[in-house]
Amino acid sequence: MTYYGHSTFRLEAGDVSLLINPGIRNNEPIIPNDHDVRVIAVTNHADDALGNATEIAVNSKAWILGNEATIQKASAQGGKSWLLHTLRPEVPYEIPGMKVTPYSLQRLNPESGGRYENLGLHIEIGKMKIAYLGDTVVRGPFGQLETDILITPVGGNDVFEVKDATSLCIDAQPRLTIPMKWTAPEQPQKFSKYIEQFGRGTIPLVLQSGQIVEIEWAAGNEFRYTVN
Amino acid sequence: MSEHKSVIVDLEETEKTNINEFGEQASAEAAGVVSVNNVSERCRIWNVRVLVPEGREGTNIEEEALSAGEVDAGGKWETGYSIAVDAPIVTFTEVYDTNGDMETEEAHWAYVMNKDNPVKITLTIKNETAGQLDNIILNKTIPPELTNIIIESAKSGTAEFDEGTRQVVWKDLVIYPNEDSVLVIKANGRADSTEVANAGEIVITYRGEDQQRSSLKPDMSALTEYLTGIETAETEPNEWECILECSNESDIMVRLDKAEVYLIPEDGGEKEKKIEESPRFEMIPSQEWSAKFEVSSKSPPKCTQEVTYTPMNTVTRRVLGTINKVAQPIPVAHVEYTKEFDPPEVNSFDKTPVEINIELKNAGTAKFNDIKIVDNLPDDVMPPKTEHISALIRGEEFTGDFEVVVDPDDQNPEVPHTITFHLKNLKDSVGELEPGDSVKINYAIMAWRNRPEKEYPSPIQCYANTYPEGITADSISESDTHKIGIMYKKRRISAKKAINKGSGAGEYSILLVVENKGEVTVENVKVIDWIPAGFSYIITDPAEEEPAVSATSDGSNMAWAWTRMNPGDQKKLRVTVRGEGEYERREPEVTTE
Repeated sequence: MTYYGHSTFRLEAGDVSLLINPGIRNNEPIIPNDHDVRVIAVTNHADDALGNATEIAVNSKAWILGNEATIQKASAQGGKSWLLHTLRPEVPYEIPGMKVTPYSLQRLNPESGGRYENLGLHIEIGKMKIAYLGDTVVRGPFGQLETDILITPVGGNDVFEVKDATSLCIDAQPRLTIPMKWTAPEQPQKFSKYIEQFGRGTIPLVLQSGQIVEIEWAAGNEFRYTVN
Repeated sequence: MSEHKSVIVDLEETEKTNINEFGEQASAEAAGVVSVNNVSERCRIWNVRVLVPEGREGTNIEEEALSAGEVDAGGKWETGYSIAVDAPIVTFTEVYDTNGDMETEEAHWAYVMNKDNPVKITLTIKNETAGQLDNIILNKTIPPELTNIIIESAKSGTAEFDEGTRQVVWKDLVIYPNEDSVLVIKANGRADSTEVANAGEIVITYRGEDQQRSSLKPDMSALTEYLTGIETAETEPNEWECILECSNESDIMVRLDKAEVYLIPEDGGEKEKKIEESPRFEMIPSQEWSAKFEVSSKSPPKCTQEVTYTPMNTVTRRVLGTINKVAQPIPVAHVEYTKEFDPPEVNSFDKTPVEINIELKNAGTAKFNDIKIVDNLPDDVMPPKTEHISALIRGEEFTGDFEVVVDPDDQNPEVPHTITFHLKNLKDSVGELEPGDSVKINYAIMAWRNRPEKEYPSPIQCYANTYPEGITADSISESDTHKIGIMYKKRRISAKKAINKGSGAGEYSILLVVENKGEVTVENVKVIDWIPAGFSYIITDPAEEEPAVSATSDGSNMAWAWTRMNPGDQKKLRVTVRGEGEYERREPEVTTE
C-alpha cells in the first residue's frame, strides 16, 4: 500500500494493482499520467477524486471503476469506453486476485449543502479485506463489514470529522486503520489518540505522503505490517 | 554598703531590634548614656572625670577619661555613646500556625478561604543573658480575621486579650538567665476574601537591671569639699610631733586614696618623705583621718603634703530594650476550576469522542504544593486510558509526580467511573503553583450510545494544599452539574408489508420493507412477522436474509435481527409462503435499541 497524500492510495498484491482516487490538488495531479497500474477506482466524480484518472488509464490501459456520474465524466474527458466500468451498489467487481464491492455512501457539497453519491469500497486483495470510505459523510454498512484495514477520511467539511471516523472504527474493529484527507495536522493525531484509547485492539497508522506499508498474513494467520 | 550617699555613675543602654515579616532579625542597634549624678545636697564636685580605661571596644568612646567638669549639688552631667551589637539580649520568635490542630515540622502559613482555620500562635521570649530580665511587656495586635481568642497557656506572667483594642498584653513576666517564657494563643481564623491578611504586629519592651551591652567599666575621680592640713607641736625641747589631718567636709562619701608628707630639712637639701600611705579610706561626712610622725628640729619643722581623694561613686547600669516585629503576611488559599466538554453535546445513540478540559486555577494568594482533582464520569461513557491523560502547568506538560487512578480500572461504558488526578510535591519538580497559575488536565472519553431521556451529570471535586499540608482548599461542584449534552436524534423505523399472490397454487409472496428513516443509527433491530396457521415458510429473497421461524399457537413467526441500521438503510425482503386457507394480515413488529 502506497499513500500519496490526500485520499490517494495504490494497492498492490501479486500481479494486481489498484489506484484509488488519483485526484488533483491545487490544480496539479497527484499521480503522474504515465503511472502504470491495472485498475483505477474512483469513489465520486469530483476532481479531487477523479483527477487525471482518464489520462492514466489511457496510458496504462487500466480500467476505471466508478459510479455512473464518475464514468460519465471520465467518458467526457476522453476515456476509452472499453476501459470504463460502472459500479453498481453492492455489485462486486471481480478480477483474479481482487474483488471490489461498492456501497453507496454520500459526500457533502459544501457549496449547495446537498449531497451526492460517493462509493465506499470493500476491497479484497492479497487475502486482505480493506474498507476504503472515499469522500464520505455517512458510514453505510461499513460498521458491520468484516475488515482488516479501514481507510477513512477525518478532515471534516464535506467528509467525516474525526469523531465520525472514530465512531465507525470502534464499530468496525479493523486490525489497522489509516486516516486520510485531513485538513489540519492535529486531526490524524487526534484520531490516532482516540483509536489507541477506545479502538479495542485496532491500531491507528498515520501515513505521510510517499510512505509505503507492506502488510501480510505471516504464517497464514498473523497480521503484520511494516512502514518504510 | 554605707548608708551615706555616693555620687552615682549611671550607664543606661538601650537596644532596638526590628524583626521582619519572616521572623528574621532585620536590624539591631544599641546606644548608651553615661551620666554622673551628684547626689550631694550642698556640695559641688569638680574636676570630674569619668574613667573608662577598658571595655571601650564596640563603642565610639576614644579617650580613657571623659571630662565632666563640675557638677553642682543635685546636678547631673551626661554624655552619649554608640554601641555595636549583633543581636539583642532578648530573642523573640512567633510561630503563627494557621492549622494548629495538625502537628507538622513547619508551621502552616496560609488561611483557607471560607473555612474555619484553627490558629495557634506561639510566642517565645528568651533571655540570652546571665542576668534576670523583668519588666517585660508584650503587645500583640490580633488581626480582624481571628475570633474566639483564647489564652491557652503562659509559662510566666499574665496575658489577657482586650476586645476593645484587639490586643493581647502579656506582662509581669520574669525570665531567669538563659531561660525562656512561652505564651500560646488559640483562635479561629476565617478569611472571606483572597486578599493577603496578616498576623498582627508585636511590640516587646523589657528592662534588664544590672545589665549592659557595652563592656565599659566606669570609675570616677573628682574633688569636693575636703580639708587637709599639718599640725606641728613641740613635745620636748626641739622635739616635734607633726600630724597630717584630713577631714571630709562634704555630705557625701569620700575616699582617701593617698597621703604623703615631706619634711624640708632646716639646712636645705632633699626633702624627706615622712608619711606615705594609701589607705583607700572611705570617709563618711565629717569624718577625719590623721597620720603623724616625730622629728627633731630647732625650729618648727617645715612640711609639704600630697593628699589624693575623690568622692566615692556607685555605678548603676541597665538595659532598656524594644523589639518590633512586623506583621507576618498570611496568604489565603483558594481554588477555582472550569470544566468543559468538546463537543459540549453528542448525538444520542451514537459513539462520539469527547475531549474534557479541566482547568484548576490558583485563585488565592497562597502557593500550592499538592493538587488533586476527582472527576466523576457517568455510565454510558467509556473512560480514557491513563497514558493519554495529560496535565499542563504554565503551558508545559507536567512530568513530575503525577498519579492517575481510574476506578474501576476498566473501560466498561456500562458503569460510572471516577478518575483521580493527583499532582504531588510540586515544589520539588516545577515549583509550587503560584497565585494566578493553573493546572490544565486534558483527556478524552467516548460517549457511548447515550440516551436522550437520560441525564449524564459529571460532577467534579478539586482540591489543593500547601506545604506543609494543612486544611485543603477545595472547589466542589453540585452533584447534578456538568452534564454531557445529549442531542436528541429522532429514531424512526418504518416497516411496510405487502401480501401478493404467488406463482403457484396456495403460494403467497410477502414483501417486507424495513427502513431507518430517522436521524440516527439504530442497533439490534428485530422484526417479527406472523404466518397464519395452515401456511409454511418456503424461501426468502435475498437468501442471506433467511429468518428464524418458530411455531406459535396460531401459526408461526418469522424473525430477523440486524445489529445496526444507519439512517437511510433499507431492508427489502421478499418471503414466499405456501399453504391453504385465507392469509390473514397482521402488521410486522419492529423493536430496536
